[in-house]
Amino acid sequence: MTPLLLGLIGLLLAGPVPAVLGRSRWLLPTPRAGVVLWQSLALAAVLAIIGAGFATTVWMISNGQTGPFMVAAHVVVIGLTSIVVVRLAWASAQVALDTRARRRRHRDLVDVLGDRDGTEPGLRILAHDTPMAYCLPALGKNRVVVSAGALSCLAGPELEAVLAHEQAHVRARHDLVLEAFSALHTAFPRGVRSKEPLLQAQLMVEMLADDAARSRAGAGPLARALVALAGQSTPAGALGVAAGSVALRLERLAAPVHERRVRSAAAYMLAVAVLVLPTVFLAVPWMIDAWALLS
Amino acid sequence: MATPTAPKLGDLERDVMDRLWGAAEPRSVRDVHAELSAERELAYTTIMTVLDRLTRKQLVSRTREGRAYLYSAVNSRAELTAEMMHDALSVDGLDRTAALVHFADRVTPEEAAALARALERVQHHDEGQPGS
Repeated sequence: MTPLLLGLIGLLLAGPVPAVLGRSRWLLPTPRAGVVLWQSLALAAVLAIIGAGFATTVWMISNGQTGPFMVAAHVVVIGLTSIVVVRLAWASAQVALDTRARRRRHRDLVDVLGDRDGTEPGLRILAHDTPMAYCLPALGKNRVVVSAGALSCLAGPELEAVLAHEQAHVRARHDLVLEAFSALHTAFPRGVRSKEPLLQAQLMVEMLADDAARSRAGAGPLARALVALAGQSTPAGALGVAAGSVALRLERLAAPVHERRVRSAAAYMLAVAVLVLPTVFLAVPWMIDAWALLS
Repeated sequence: MATPTAPKLGDLERDVMDRLWGAAEPRSVRDVHAELSAERELAYTTIMTVLDRLTRKQLVSRTREGRAYLYSAVNSRAELTAEMMHDALSVDGLDRTAALVHFADRVTPEEAAALARALERVQHHDEGQPGS
């Protein structure tokens, strides 16, 4: 049973659990714990599926005579494991290479097209009317890009909030967190995967950067900057989710800052439990059994 | 902090590109050096290094003309601007890689109106707090 149970846990952690957790607002006040919980869920899903593959292989070797249904179920588990492992390796490499290539090219363009204002070494100003601000994280070669359109619609404290937000992304390498979730999303086959982990990770990372900006420039300027830069509609794009995320960020700014110690402790504990419990109750007993069987 | 007397290679890249965009024909290192060193002191080898870096970045191409190399911009400024803006504005949620981390994603007009209403609530709350 172990392989099937592990496979089931893997599938639950890859699909329904993120879907439910993504819809709840439980993690929104504690983005740091939230990111950790999402990472642990993702890791647990991958480990469970890999574990299921191993367990199934051993089961196939040790159990010669069983019904066709059980054999078929185990073949499915092995198949799923192989797909996830191969795709995860492939997707990680692909996402890492794509991201770096795109960022490098963009940085090269920004460097020859943008202006330096002389205050911050990595800050580039683009002579463009569309209000926008973004960062290009990279070790030692960070760029924070702000358009002239953004400068003209942001007052001093608002600009400070934007810069503080982007610098928080760059300093904490939030892009690496997002990259891991992108790879994971690409790795799981359509139908099994959920888009929630990646979307939630994006949202949590934005909220973390918002917290940094809020403590430097205040909630009011940050909120105004958010609305000023998000409130520009663009012709293309499916943006429902994005709008939702700006609304959630604003909502968070409307509430006073107070620490949610209990909630974040609970999220951290859940993160540990999700990783440890399947290992202790399923993987370890199975390993002992398998060892006894094979030796 | 960089001192103003020693411009970094990055700053020069931009100036060199400006010269190449402004030129009707491909320029040699000597041409570019002559133009730029009219404004400030620059070593010939520095310009050579900058042009070499720009070539590696595929922003500049070079052709051999007799004993010297001639350099020209691969794309016009307008083309590169279009490419950059397209890349910066192609926000497509899940497919977007973590290459560019935007401050705020864009929204539809109705959503923008909803955001403006939400902003009022934030400011209402913020007035009760001393500014930081």
